[in-house]
Amino acid sequence: MNKLLPLFFLLFSFVDFDNNQHQFIARQGQVSFFSYTSLENIEAKNNQVLSILDIEKHEIAISMLMRAFVFKKDLMYEHFNESYIESDMYPKANFIGNIIDFDTSTKEVQTKIIRGKLTIHGITKEIDIKTTIKIIDKNYIVSGDFEVLVKDFEIKIPPILSSNIAKTISIKFRFQYKPYEQ
Amino acid sequence: MKSKNKIFLGTIILLSLINGYYFIVPYFKSSEKNMENETAELSVSSNKIVNAYTINEEKSNILYAGKIIEVTGFVKEITFLNNRNTIILNSNTQTFGVICDVNPNQKGKIKQLKENQKIRVKGICEGFLKDVILLNCSIDLTPNE
Repeated sequence: MNKLLPLFFLLFSFVDFDNNQHQFIARQGQVSFFSYTSLENIEAKNNQVLSILDIEKHEIAISMLMRAFVFKKDLMYEHFNESYIESDMYPKANFIGNIIDFDTSTKEVQTKIIRGKLTIHGITKEIDIKTTIKIIDKNYIVSGDFEVLVKDFEIKIPPILSSNIAKTISIKFRFQYKPYEQ
Repeated sequence: MKSKNKIFLGTIILLSLINGYYFIVPYFKSSEKNMENETAELSVSSNKIVNAYTINEEKSNILYAGKIIEVTGFVKEITFLNNRNTIILNSNTQTFGVICDVNPNQKGKIKQLKENQKIRVKGICEGFLKDVILLNCSIDLTPNE
Protein backbone atom coordinates (compact mmCIF):
# COMPACT_ATOMS: atom_id res chain seq x y z
CA MET A 1 0.00 0.00 0.00
CA ASN A 2 2.79 2.38 0.93
CA LYS A 3 4.34 1.85 -2.45
CA LEU A 4 1.13 2.79 -4.16
CA LEU A 5 0.65 6.06 -2.32
CA PRO A 6 3.12 8.15 -4.35
CA LEU A 7 1.46 6.85 -7.46
CA PHE A 8 -1.89 8.14 -6.26
CA PHE A 9 -0.42 11.51 -5.52
CA LEU A 10 1.12 11.62 -8.93
CA LEU A 11 -2.20 10.79 -10.53
CA PHE A 12 -4.06 13.45 -8.58
CA SER A 13 -1.52 16.11 -9.32
CA PHE A 14 -2.27 15.73 -13.02
CA VAL A 15 -6.01 15.81 -12.65
CA ASP A 16 -7.05 19.37 -12.05
CA PHE A 17 -10.70 19.07 -11.16
CA ASP A 18 -12.08 22.54 -11.30
CA ASN A 19 -9.55 24.24 -13.53
CA ASN A 20 -12.15 24.98 -16.19
CA GLN A 21 -14.47 26.97 -14.02
CA HIS A 22 -11.95 29.70 -13.37
CA GLN A 23 -10.91 30.25 -16.92
CA PHE A 24 -12.82 32.08 -19.58
CA ILE A 25 -11.92 32.52 -23.20
CA ALA A 26 -12.71 35.03 -25.93
CA ARG A 27 -11.62 33.99 -29.39
CA GLN A 28 -13.29 36.84 -31.20
CA GLY A 29 -12.38 39.82 -29.14
CA GLN A 30 -12.48 43.18 -30.83
CA VAL A 31 -9.63 45.66 -30.73
CA SER A 32 -9.62 48.84 -32.80
CA PHE A 33 -7.31 51.80 -32.97
CA PHE A 34 -7.70 55.35 -34.22
CA SER A 35 -5.33 58.03 -35.32
CA TYR A 36 -6.90 61.43 -35.77
CA THR A 37 -5.05 64.24 -37.48
CA SER A 38 -6.28 67.22 -39.43
CA LEU A 39 -5.05 65.60 -42.66
CA GLU A 40 -6.28 62.07 -42.31
CA ASN A 41 -8.18 59.78 -39.99
CA ILE A 42 -6.93 56.25 -39.79
CA GLU A 43 -8.96 53.50 -38.23
CA ALA A 44 -8.38 49.75 -38.06
CA LYS A 45 -10.24 46.87 -36.50
CA ASN A 46 -9.22 43.40 -35.46
CA ASN A 47 -12.10 41.04 -34.74
CA GLN A 48 -10.08 37.92 -34.02
CA VAL A 49 -8.29 38.79 -30.81
CA LEU A 50 -7.68 35.96 -28.39
CA SER A 51 -7.99 36.49 -24.67
CA ILE A 52 -8.05 34.31 -21.59
CA LEU A 53 -9.43 35.54 -18.30
CA ASP A 54 -8.65 33.75 -15.06
CA ILE A 55 -11.11 34.92 -12.42
CA GLU A 56 -9.34 33.10 -9.58
CA LYS A 57 -5.92 34.59 -10.20
CA HIS A 58 -7.48 37.87 -11.47
CA GLU A 59 -5.32 37.54 -14.54
CA ILE A 60 -5.98 38.51 -18.12
CA ALA A 61 -3.93 37.57 -21.17
CA ILE A 62 -4.47 38.95 -24.67
CA SER A 63 -2.84 38.09 -27.96
CA MET A 64 -3.54 39.41 -31.44
CA LEU A 65 -2.17 39.19 -34.94
CA MET A 66 -1.07 42.51 -36.39
CA ARG A 67 -1.96 41.32 -39.89
CA ALA A 68 -5.55 40.75 -38.84
CA PHE A 69 -6.19 44.48 -38.52
CA VAL A 70 -8.54 45.57 -41.26
CA PHE A 71 -8.15 49.10 -42.65
CA LYS A 72 -10.40 51.10 -44.93
CA LYS A 73 -7.69 51.36 -47.54
CA ASP A 74 -5.18 48.86 -48.86
CA LEU A 75 -2.29 51.27 -48.71
CA MET A 76 -2.80 51.89 -44.99
CA TYR A 77 -2.68 48.15 -44.37
CA GLU A 78 0.52 47.90 -46.37
CA HIS A 79 2.26 50.78 -44.60
CA PHE A 80 1.14 49.56 -41.21
CA ASN A 81 2.40 46.01 -41.67
CA GLU A 82 5.49 46.61 -43.75
CA SER A 83 6.91 49.91 -42.54
CA TYR A 84 5.60 50.65 -39.07
CA ILE A 85 4.77 47.48 -37.18
CA GLU A 86 7.00 45.18 -39.27
CA SER A 87 4.60 42.27 -38.98
CA ASP A 88 7.00 39.76 -40.45
CA MET A 89 9.36 40.30 -37.54
CA TYR A 90 6.77 41.02 -34.87
CA PRO A 91 3.56 39.28 -35.95
CA LYS A 92 1.79 39.61 -32.61
CA ALA A 93 0.93 42.13 -29.95
CA ASN A 94 0.48 40.77 -26.44
CA PHE A 95 -0.81 41.91 -23.12
CA ILE A 96 -0.61 40.22 -19.74
CA GLY A 97 -2.08 41.92 -16.73
CA ASN A 98 -3.70 41.75 -13.34
CA ILE A 99 -7.11 43.12 -12.55
CA ILE A 100 -6.64 45.13 -9.37
CA ASP A 101 -9.31 44.59 -6.66
CA PHE A 102 -11.35 42.38 -8.97
CA ASP A 103 -14.57 41.38 -7.19
CA THR A 104 -15.72 38.04 -8.56
CA SER A 105 -18.71 37.74 -6.24
CA THR A 106 -20.67 40.73 -7.48
CA LYS A 107 -23.01 40.62 -10.46
CA GLU A 108 -22.91 44.36 -10.95
CA VAL A 109 -20.94 46.35 -13.47
CA GLN A 110 -17.54 47.24 -12.07
CA THR A 111 -14.83 49.60 -13.23
CA LYS A 112 -11.34 48.37 -12.45
CA ILE A 113 -7.75 49.09 -13.33
CA ILE A 114 -5.81 46.40 -15.15
CA ARG A 115 -2.08 46.75 -14.62
CA GLY A 116 0.13 44.84 -16.95
CA LYS A 117 2.65 44.61 -19.70
CA LEU A 118 1.84 45.52 -23.28
CA THR A 119 4.11 44.29 -26.05
CA ILE A 120 3.92 45.88 -29.49
CA HIS A 121 6.65 45.91 -32.13
CA GLY A 122 8.86 43.81 -29.83
CA ILE A 123 8.85 46.45 -27.10
CA THR A 124 7.27 45.92 -23.70
CA LYS A 125 5.74 48.72 -21.66
CA GLU A 126 4.04 48.78 -18.27
CA ILE A 127 0.56 50.16 -18.61
CA ASP A 128 -2.58 50.79 -16.54
CA ILE A 129 -5.88 50.41 -18.33
CA LYS A 130 -9.27 51.42 -16.97
CA THR A 131 -11.83 48.77 -17.83
CA THR A 132 -15.47 48.04 -17.40
CA ILE A 133 -16.33 44.49 -16.40
CA LYS A 134 -19.86 43.22 -16.88
CA ILE A 135 -21.41 39.84 -16.22
CA ILE A 136 -24.23 38.66 -18.43
CA ASP A 137 -25.49 35.08 -17.97
CA LYS A 138 -22.32 34.10 -16.10
CA ASN A 139 -20.22 35.29 -19.03
CA TYR A 140 -17.83 38.17 -18.63
CA ILE A 141 -17.63 41.19 -20.90
CA VAL A 142 -14.51 43.31 -20.53
CA SER A 143 -14.26 46.61 -22.41
CA GLY A 144 -12.49 49.92 -22.31
CA ASP A 145 -10.15 52.28 -24.06
CA PHE A 146 -6.71 53.76 -23.56
CA GLU A 147 -4.01 55.67 -25.39
CA VAL A 148 -0.47 54.84 -26.39
CA LEU A 149 2.34 56.99 -27.74
CA VAL A 150 3.74 55.96 -31.11
CA LYS A 151 7.29 56.78 -30.03
CA ASP A 152 7.07 54.53 -26.95
CA PHE A 153 7.14 51.49 -29.21
CA GLU A 154 9.96 52.72 -31.43
CA ILE A 155 7.76 52.88 -34.49
CA LYS A 156 9.53 54.95 -37.09
CA ILE A 157 7.41 57.19 -39.28
CA PRO A 158 9.10 58.99 -42.18
CA PRO A 159 9.05 62.82 -41.79
CA ILE A 160 6.87 63.24 -44.91
CA LEU A 161 4.09 61.18 -43.36
CA SER A 162 4.48 62.35 -39.78
CA SER A 163 1.69 64.89 -40.19
CA ASN A 164 -0.69 62.14 -41.33
CA ILE A 165 -0.25 60.00 -38.25
CA ALA A 166 -1.15 61.09 -34.75
CA LYS A 167 1.41 61.07 -31.96
CA THR A 168 -1.02 59.35 -29.64
CA ILE A 169 -3.12 56.46 -30.84
CA SER A 170 -6.36 55.66 -29.07
CA ILE A 171 -7.21 52.02 -28.67
CA LYS A 172 -10.60 50.51 -27.91
CA PHE A 173 -11.30 46.94 -26.92
CA ARG A 174 -14.18 44.64 -26.12
CA PHE A 175 -13.97 41.00 -25.13
CA GLN A 176 -16.91 38.70 -24.66
CA TYR A 177 -15.86 35.61 -22.73
CA LYS A 178 -17.18 32.09 -22.66
CA PRO A 179 -16.25 29.34 -20.19
CA TYR A 180 -13.07 27.66 -21.33
CA GLU A 181 -13.70 24.05 -22.35
CA GLN A 182 -10.55 22.05 -22.82
CA MET B 1 7.35 72.82 -83.77
CA LYS B 2 3.77 72.97 -82.60
CA SER B 3 3.10 69.31 -83.26
CA LYS B 4 6.22 68.45 -81.28
CA ASN B 5 4.86 70.41 -78.36
CA LYS B 6 1.57 68.56 -78.63
CA ILE B 7 3.32 65.20 -78.53
CA PHE B 8 5.32 66.33 -75.53
CA LEU B 9 2.21 67.51 -73.74
CA GLY B 10 0.45 64.29 -74.67
CA THR B 11 3.17 62.13 -73.15
CA ILE B 12 3.18 64.23 -70.00
CA ILE B 13 -0.57 63.76 -69.61
CA LEU B 14 -0.28 60.04 -70.35
CA LEU B 15 2.51 59.63 -67.82
CA SER B 16 0.60 61.47 -65.13
CA LEU B 17 -2.45 59.30 -65.83
CA ILE B 18 -0.40 56.12 -65.46
CA ASN B 19 1.12 57.54 -62.33
CA GLY B 20 -2.32 58.35 -61.02
CA TYR B 21 -3.55 54.87 -61.71
CA TYR B 22 -0.73 53.16 -59.85
CA PHE B 23 -0.35 55.52 -56.91
CA ILE B 24 -3.67 57.16 -56.34
CA VAL B 25 -6.19 54.45 -57.19
CA PRO B 26 -4.80 51.96 -54.60
CA TYR B 27 -5.34 54.67 -52.05
CA PHE B 28 -9.07 54.50 -52.48
CA LYS B 29 -9.34 50.77 -52.84
CA SER B 30 -10.98 49.00 -49.95
CA SER B 31 -8.98 46.27 -48.28
CA GLU B 32 -12.06 44.04 -48.21
CA LYS B 33 -11.75 42.64 -51.69
CA ASN B 34 -14.01 40.11 -53.26
CA MET B 35 -12.07 36.89 -53.11
CA GLU B 36 -14.53 34.69 -54.93
CA ASN B 37 -12.79 34.91 -58.28
CA GLU B 38 -9.24 34.79 -57.00
CA THR B 39 -7.35 31.54 -57.30
CA ALA B 40 -5.99 29.99 -54.14
CA GLU B 41 -2.29 29.25 -53.85
CA LEU B 42 -2.73 26.26 -51.59
CA SER B 43 -5.51 23.89 -50.63
CA VAL B 44 -5.47 22.07 -47.30
CA SER B 45 -7.78 20.41 -44.82
CA SER B 46 -8.46 22.13 -41.49
CA ASN B 47 -6.75 19.24 -39.66
CA LYS B 48 -3.60 19.57 -41.67
CA ILE B 49 -3.18 23.32 -41.28
CA VAL B 50 -3.94 23.24 -37.54
CA ASN B 51 -1.45 20.40 -37.03
CA ALA B 52 1.19 22.23 -39.02
CA TYR B 53 0.72 25.35 -36.89
CA THR B 54 0.77 23.50 -33.55
CA ILE B 55 4.00 21.72 -34.49
CA ASN B 56 5.92 24.67 -35.87
CA GLU B 57 4.35 28.11 -36.03
CA GLU B 58 7.26 29.93 -37.67
CA LYS B 59 7.64 27.42 -40.46
CA SER B 60 3.90 27.38 -41.10
CA ASN B 61 3.81 31.16 -41.21
CA ILE B 62 6.34 31.10 -44.04
CA LEU B 63 4.23 28.51 -45.84
CA TYR B 64 0.74 29.95 -45.28
CA ALA B 65 0.70 33.50 -43.89
CA GLY B 66 -0.28 36.28 -46.24
CA LYS B 67 -1.44 33.84 -48.92
CA ILE B 68 -4.83 33.04 -50.32
CA ILE B 69 -5.59 29.50 -49.24
CA GLU B 70 -8.48 27.07 -49.39
CA VAL B 71 -9.38 25.14 -46.26
CA THR B 72 -11.77 22.21 -46.16
CA GLY B 73 -13.37 21.30 -42.86
CA PHE B 74 -16.47 20.79 -40.78
CA VAL B 75 -18.43 23.70 -39.33
CA LYS B 76 -18.15 23.85 -35.55
CA GLU B 77 -19.82 27.17 -34.88
CA ILE B 78 -21.33 30.13 -36.69
CA THR B 79 -21.31 33.46 -34.87
CA PHE B 80 -22.41 36.99 -35.63
CA LEU B 81 -20.48 38.68 -32.83
CA ASN B 82 -19.53 42.36 -33.38
CA ASN B 83 -21.56 42.39 -36.62
CA ARG B 84 -19.07 40.05 -38.28
CA ASN B 85 -20.02 36.80 -39.94
CA THR B 86 -17.67 34.22 -38.54
CA ILE B 87 -17.38 30.49 -39.10
CA ILE B 88 -15.24 28.31 -36.87
CA LEU B 89 -14.05 25.07 -38.47
CA ASN B 90 -13.29 21.97 -36.43
CA SER B 91 -10.01 20.17 -36.30
CA ASN B 92 -9.10 16.81 -34.82
CA THR B 93 -7.57 18.54 -31.81
CA GLN B 94 -10.35 19.77 -29.53
CA THR B 95 -8.88 23.11 -28.56
CA PHE B 96 -7.69 24.39 -31.90
CA GLY B 97 -9.62 25.29 -35.01
CA VAL B 98 -9.84 27.67 -37.92
CA ILE B 99 -11.59 31.04 -37.53
CA CYS B 100 -12.94 32.33 -40.84
CA ASP B 101 -14.06 35.93 -41.08
CA VAL B 102 -16.53 35.85 -43.94
CA ASN B 103 -16.89 38.63 -46.52
CA PRO B 104 -20.28 40.38 -46.21
CA ASN B 105 -21.17 39.43 -49.80
CA GLN B 106 -21.43 35.77 -48.71
CA LYS B 107 -24.39 36.44 -46.43
CA GLY B 108 -26.79 34.30 -48.43
CA LYS B 109 -24.54 31.28 -48.17
CA ILE B 110 -23.88 31.66 -44.47
CA LYS B 111 -27.61 31.35 -43.80
CA GLN B 112 -27.66 27.92 -45.46
CA LEU B 113 -24.91 26.54 -43.25
CA LYS B 114 -25.53 23.98 -40.56
CA GLU B 115 -23.26 22.70 -37.83
CA ASN B 116 -21.03 19.79 -38.82
CA GLN B 117 -21.56 20.50 -42.50
CA LYS B 118 -18.50 19.99 -44.64
CA ILE B 119 -17.49 23.17 -46.46
CA ARG B 120 -14.54 24.75 -48.16
CA VAL B 121 -13.53 28.33 -47.44
CA LYS B 122 -11.15 30.51 -49.37
CA GLY B 123 -9.44 33.40 -47.64
CA ILE B 124 -6.20 35.11 -46.68
CA CYS B 125 -4.34 33.28 -43.95
CA GLU B 126 -3.12 35.81 -41.37
CA GLY B 127 -1.51 33.49 -38.84
CA PHE B 128 -2.19 31.55 -35.68
CA LEU B 129 -3.14 32.37 -32.11
CA LYS B 130 -5.16 29.53 -30.67
CA ASP B 131 -6.81 29.08 -33.99
CA VAL B 132 -5.68 29.65 -37.53
CA ILE B 133 -7.13 32.96 -38.72
CA LEU B 134 -8.52 33.41 -42.23
CA LEU B 135 -9.86 36.78 -43.33
CA ASN B 136 -12.06 37.87 -46.20
CA CYS B 137 -13.42 34.37 -46.75
CA SER B 138 -15.72 33.12 -49.44
CA ILE B 139 -17.65 29.90 -48.93
CA ASP B 140 -17.94 26.86 -51.16
CA LEU B 141 -20.87 24.80 -49.94
CA THR B 142 -20.08 21.70 -51.93
CA PRO B 143 -16.42 20.77 -51.70
CA ASN B 144 -15.73 18.10 -54.29
CA GLU B 145 -13.14 15.71 -53.02
